[in-house]
Amino acid sequence: MKKSKIFGNIYTVLAFIFLYMPIAVLVIFSFNASDSTGNITGFSLKWYGELFSDAATLNALKNTLILAILSSIIATVIGTMASYGINKMQNKHIKSATMSVTKIPMINPEIVVGISMMLLFVFVGGIVGSQSSLGFGTVLIAHITFNLPYVILSVLPKFKQMDKSLPEAAQDLGCTPLQSFFKVELPAILPGVVSGLIMAFTLSLDDFVISYFTIGSGFETLPIRIYSMTKKRVTPDMYALSTLIFVSILVLLLISNLTSDKSREKMSKKAKKITKIVVGSLFGVIAAVTIVVFIVSASTETLTLNVYNWGEYISDGGEDTLDVNQKFEEYYEDWYFKKYNKRVKVNVNYTTYASNEDLYAKIKSGAADYDIIVPSDYMVERLKSEGLLQTIDLSKIPNYENISEQFRNPYYDNGKEKYSVMYTYGIVGIVYNKDKINDDDLAKIEAGEAGWELLWDEDYKGQILQFNNARDAFGVAMYSLGIDVNNATDAEWQKAYERLKEQKPLVQSYVMDEIFNKMEGGEAALAAYYAGDCLSMIERAAEAGVNLGFYYPKTNGKYVTNIFADAMCIPKSATNVELAHAYINYMLSEEPAVANAEYLYYGSPNKLVVNNGDYIDYLGDDYGVIYQEEFESQLDYMFETYAYRSLPDEKLKLQNNLWETLKVGSDSFDSGIYVICGVIAAVLIGFGVYCYIIKRKRRRLYWNTQKEASKK
Amino acid sequence: MNEKKIIELKNVAKSYDGEIILDHINLDVHEKEFMTLLGPSGCGKTTTLRIIAGFVTPDTGDVVFDGVRINDIPAYKRHVNTVFQKYALFPHLNVYENIAFALRLNKVSEEEIFERVTEMLAMVNLRGFEKRDVNLLSGGQQQRVAIARALINKPKVLLLDEPLGALDLKLRKDMQNELKNIQRKTGITFIYVTHDQEEALSMSDTVVVMADGKIQQIGTPTDIYNEPENAFVADFIGESNIIDGIMLDDYKAKFSGHEFVCLDKGFEKNERVDVVVRPEDVDVVPPEKGMLTGVVTSVTFKGVHYEIIVNINNFKWMIQSTDYVEPNQKIGIYIEPDAIHIMKRSEYSGQFGDYSSFSDELDKLSDVTEEEE
Repeated sequence: MKKSKIFGNIYTVLAFIFLYMPIAVLVIFSFNASDSTGNITGFSLKWYGELFSDAATLNALKNTLILAILSSIIATVIGTMASYGINKMQNKHIKSATMSVTKIPMINPEIVVGISMMLLFVFVGGIVGSQSSLGFGTVLIAHITFNLPYVILSVLPKFKQMDKSLPEAAQDLGCTPLQSFFKVELPAILPGVVSGLIMAFTLSLDDFVISYFTIGSGFETLPIRIYSMTKKRVTPDMYALSTLIFVSILVLLLISNLTSDKSREKMSKKAKKITKIVVGSLFGVIAAVTIVVFIVSASTETLTLNVYNWGEYISDGGEDTLDVNQKFEEYYEDWYFKKYNKRVKVNVNYTTYASNEDLYAKIKSGAADYDIIVPSDYMVERLKSEGLLQTIDLSKIPNYENISEQFRNPYYDNGKEKYSVMYTYGIVGIVYNKDKINDDDLAKIEAGEAGWELLWDEDYKGQILQFNNARDAFGVAMYSLGIDVNNATDAEWQKAYERLKEQKPLVQSYVMDEIFNKMEGGEAALAAYYAGDCLSMIERAAEAGVNLGFYYPKTNGKYVTNIFADAMCIPKSATNVELAHAYINYMLSEEPAVANAEYLYYGSPNKLVVNNGDYIDYLGDDYGVIYQEEFESQLDYMFETYAYRSLPDEKLKLQNNLWETLKVGSDSFDSGIYVICGVIAAVLIGFGVYCYIIKRKRRRLYWNTQKEASKK
Repeated sequence: MNEKKIIELKNVAKSYDGEIILDHINLDVHEKEFMTLLGPSGCGKTTTLRIIAGFVTPDTGDVVFDGVRINDIPAYKRHVNTVFQKYALFPHLNVYENIAFALRLNKVSEEEIFERVTEMLAMVNLRGFEKRDVNLLSGGQQQRVAIARALINKPKVLLLDEPLGALDLKLRKDMQNELKNIQRKTGITFIYVTHDQEEALSMSDTVVVMADGKIQQIGTPTDIYNEPENAFVADFIGESNIIDGIMLDDYKAKFSGHEFVCLDKGFEKNERVDVVVRPEDVDVVPPEKGMLTGVVTSVTFKGVHYEIIVNINNFKWMIQSTDYVEPNQKIGIYIEPDAIHIMKRSEYSGQFGDYSSFSDELDKLSDVTEEEE
């Protein structure tokens, strides 16, 4: 007795720790004055302030709320009607079949639901002849669909619990069947309806997978926005946002508990009244928001430009920066008025993605109609070769002359007709912790003689971070071996693999975004990463007292490292080509280009930026790092030689296989995991079979005794 | 009793999935009558009630209300109200609002609602309960609210579907009296469904005994008890010894190997009949004085009397007597002529009235089972 109590308490404590510690940490850091996860410097509402000044995030939040409200209300109405019907079904077989069909979408993996829905929408859209079938409508349908079973499962039991003669009693007293539903049955099942509504609302609020597949251009929900931010890093205002979401969901949960039957009986009259008021006002607010949104969306007519860019890849008006998109809207509206003497409203619909492959999937599926996309070099080449891009009419982009000559004919787009205009470029270098590197190596770095070999130095065992993506990690290995990253033979790939395997024992971990926290927190000594990001790491680390440095690795006095470019393109399916050209042109003018360059910390191909005094002042020493003079003459060659290009399929397969082998390795631990899982599964199956046999034996025994008894 | 017919069922039949629930029944209900539909589970009594209420449409036959055929009139337009087995009070409304429900639907003025609800509450002895939550009332109180709610519209006919089934014995007796009083006071026709024969006998003006979807007998409680028409009715109403017999002549019956004088006539000579003898009408006498003799197999003390099972010619009789006899004792029995009731043989002959497999418990079990549609 006592023992079990102790175990119970331990369990409770553990459960609380595991479930709520992460949330507690999240809440604490949302109030942290510093943006480093390494140290807490004081209480601040800074991130909340920043959150509410971030127009794109607020817009995504608004979208998410509208979507959640609409989909949960519609799903609740349909679900309640469905439950009513299912409850009335006479045939038990049909009833149970209907219930099973209803439950399947809940058990089905979200990814299957998402993909199948996308396929359906695109397919039907194709039949109807609409080019861009995905959009708000499709996500709404998808959300209603996956919400439905949850609503039904929460409403149906209430119908079953309800005294079957209630509707009869109502009709007996003079209600028509319709009156009886609204006056008697609905109030009786209301707790189920409300909790179904709240559940649907919550599910819709945090759905990522299904939304991701069914969302079109020009519409972004909060989970999708947060996900796409991972290109750079998750900023602390996301902690603030997550905290707010957590708190609101907690409140919703409390309300739904208060409206449940049991607690209702226990509640005092006053509490009941309060609950009624709260629930009532909640519904009021929801209704009001919905109405306002409908009115607003119906009354304005606008020119919409759908821009699809990397997360955090534009100066967005946060922290006193320029809101480039907003500026463009104003600029174009003015220009349009001057030219045509007519007013027009421009709306830049800015949504984001996290990887070139995501972008490619979206464009390739043909479901979305973006006007501007910003793929990386090799992806530009691929999209171009597949005919998914349209030529850019340079006559409509007078500012194109601001682009330095050396960036006008990059390898991926060096034909007569242009398909892209470079947005930024960057170079991979090595960020290091000055206090963790020995003096000899420091001297070598300062003399500009250090290369990739430091990443293989036994002295830094357990202090090295490596890319957690195949292309970049193999790239590092190949650069260090002097292998051509784009034309490596199978044997050379194997060599690069051996090189990474040799490095593995020295690697602390394979990282992408986690590098910021690890380097800024002084946890690691060396890591290869993109220059712009390394520079912002150095700056932030200095605030926390960590002394970081950065260098470009050289081999035999020459820079041998990856260079990449992201470029603005107009997809074939763009619907507003005119406006897209104007946007590109605007982005090349001085003010927005400088704002972007200052925000991004990547290299700018724009002459006006490079020579802008404010910009040079702003970057300080970093200017010399980003625009190293030595590069000037080498850039062409580097793009030609070291930029990643699309790999042929067989090489891609080889790379992925080798990468998997490297990551999984053949350690005893990993195979041990399989053994353990196998044993657990076997024990569970054995136990199940045992229980089944025992049950059957008992049943047979029972039957036999029954039979004998009846014989007598 | 008023002779005006308020409800007539004409040749009404109903079956579900090929199973016959009601087998062409004919029934007249008169104004101000307290009529009870009595029968075991599955006999069709609740279905009959629901057909009158309008929740079930008969397959064939007519339902006539006040001279008008109402087969196609929906439940909510009929001038009948129902008290449901489990009350079916509206859980989201308090006592006052539950009772006022029908009035609100009819857009009656607030003052009148108040007046009539108060009057109803007084009638069912629930003054001061207006603001109570119906979920927190006791079974008896919920029952009263249900009755008040059903009566507020002053229906011509009130249907009651085993309304006292869920109450305990004491409360049940009180409510029986109260219901009877309400019926007398309001003059509303009551159609009352129950499987409890005692309840039926003590409350009703007319009892309709039903079995297997057919009406077995319609009559006053005394008629039903004293002159059961067949073995089923005899067995269902009270305890009965039902013995195969032969009617030798008018006033002369032979059973258990003995000739008896009785008060029945009008049968064919030597017609096979069912003979009913109530246990309380059998006198225990010494063997030598008995018309019949047998051995006592069991004796149970029942408070007012002993229940004695006697084996006479391999037929087990039940006898209720205030005199104690020993088990295994040989006794004689004596039956007065007016204690013998002769019935025509029916499909139920031979099924009832033998106490060889008698057990109290079994009897009760079959009482409790709810009636399924």
